[in-house]
Amino acid sequence: MILDVLRTIRARNLQSFGFYSVGSSRMRDIKVKADPREVLTSSDEEEEAVQVIESVSIRENEVSSSSLSVKSTPEIEKKYVHRVYDAIAPHFSSTRFAKWPKVAAFLESLPSGSVILDAGCGNGKYLGLNPSCFFIGCDISHPLIKICSDKGQEVLVADAVNLPYREEFGDAAISIAVLHHLSTENRRKKAIEELVRVVKPGGFVLITVWAAEQEDTSLLTKWTPLSAKYVEEWVGPGSPMNSPRVRNNPFFSLESIPETEVSTKEQKAENSPFIGLESIPESEESTKEHKGESIIPETKSSIVEQKDEKSVQDSLEALKKSQQEYFVPWHLPYHRAEVSGASASALASGLAKKDDRKGAVVYNRYYHVFSEGELERLASGVGNAMIVDRFYDKSNWCIVLQKAALNQD
Amino acid sequence: MSIRVLKSSATKTHLRLPRCERAREREKMRLIVHNMLSCNIRGVVNKFPLRIEPEKVIVKEVDFNPDFLKHMIAKIDWKALVDGARSMGYPELPDHPPTTLESDESFLRKFHHSLLELNLEEGSLVCPETGRKFSVNKGIPNMLLHEDEV
Repeated sequence: MILDVLRTIRARNLQSFGFYSVGSSRMRDIKVKADPREVLTSSDEEEEAVQVIESVSIRENEVSSSSLSVKSTPEIEKKYVHRVYDAIAPHFSSTRFAKWPKVAAFLESLPSGSVILDAGCGNGKYLGLNPSCFFIGCDISHPLIKICSDKGQEVLVADAVNLPYREEFGDAAISIAVLHHLSTENRRKKAIEELVRVVKPGGFVLITVWAAEQEDTSLLTKWTPLSAKYVEEWVGPGSPMNSPRVRNNPFFSLESIPETEVSTKEQKAENSPFIGLESIPESEESTKEHKGESIIPETKSSIVEQKDEKSVQDSLEALKKSQQEYFVPWHLPYHRAEVSGASASALASGLAKKDDRKGAVVYNRYYHVFSEGELERLASGVGNAMIVDRFYDKSNWCIVLQKAALNQD
Repeated sequence: MSIRVLKSSATKTHLRLPRCERAREREKMRLIVHNMLSCNIRGVVNKFPLRIEPEKVIVKEVDFNPDFLKHMIAKIDWKALVDGARSMGYPELPDHPPTTLESDESFLRKFHHSLLELNLEEGSLVCPETGRKFSVNKGIPNMLLHEDEV
């Protein structure tokens, strides 16, 4: 198998340099009820959302945005990122072996002996890619880190938003397909600041994220936009969850993942090396999206009172166009699901659903896909780093930052 | 001072292992990583270095690479390395690196051994200010904070 060959080669190469690399990054748990508020990125919108959703039962300690540090993990990430990756880790890892040429080129361009920090290293795909460098990886998922460790990598369990590293130790850092799992703009920005903080002056940082502008637009049909979830939470006075109209409408239900297009293509999509490169599409600016999403609850409640379903659908359609928040399904085959006990509880709690036709447990992963220019905008807000390269590749927005050297201001 | 237990498996790995066996063995936390780790609890000022409380240390041979070692000298907090090595059972590292590295192979060998060959498989990393312990299990440090620590 390719993995075994690569492992042997890597091990042999590492032997000649005498070091191994490690990686891990974990994302924290989030309570489900806080979903809508957490996805709205600015504190203004969170305040708006707070007023609107007052009628929905939400525990008080979840409401105030100011009481949540940017380093606290929102519920949506706990439920739809951390728990999912923990449950799918071995299967996920088996599909993640293709090395993205752009990342490989970046790593291979670094000087021999460089200390490279991979924050959010997943299954450690890139650790040790350049055998002349020393890799240290971190991920928030302990099962994924264990997979890295078993491969001989030097890894630890940590949070990309709060790296346990002292300043300027690394020669370079990478964040490959990580930031799109962070549900607020502040957290995404913090993660970038952390990457810059931990590299030496003059050091390089490579960041890649899923793009809103997907090359394969058919992928979008497999994803559930978050707006549907909002509707379920906010629609209707009184108890929206019990509204029969909401419950009976499959479009409104978050849990019903559109299965109609289930096909070999989808299976192939998840397992192919191309998909291993992971890309997400979204073309609207985030400000538009935020406005769109903060409008939803108000629009919804008034529309529901008029029992005008068509306007609801229209609003949701409009939302879709500015959609940057998605649940992307992951199909965990039954024989894989049995290995970890996580799937049993996930099914029981509604976190995952069974698809007997495909013989898989279906999980949802939360993504905030990046629109064109969004990553650059975020990165340019980081004071002591410059953007030295930016590109779009295989449905990902990518950026290379360089930390200011000591003799610069 | 906590108890350090060197299990028999640790003694075995101190011997030169064939290349293929070394490749298959899992890496544990080494001082090169420890030298970077700091306590990231909110408000903590004295966050580095973390004190090592070892329970199981394994010595694993690694190929000697002087160029890499010279690159690392500039990055390493020397005192943290000396103290860390001592706590893992290796007191031979001098308190200060020599001024001329190129000619001092014996020093480089000690540096190499401390930085890359001492593996913490089980134990804790302790915050110097708060005493908070970060556990190291199967060589993997868990640096995640609880909700109230961020």
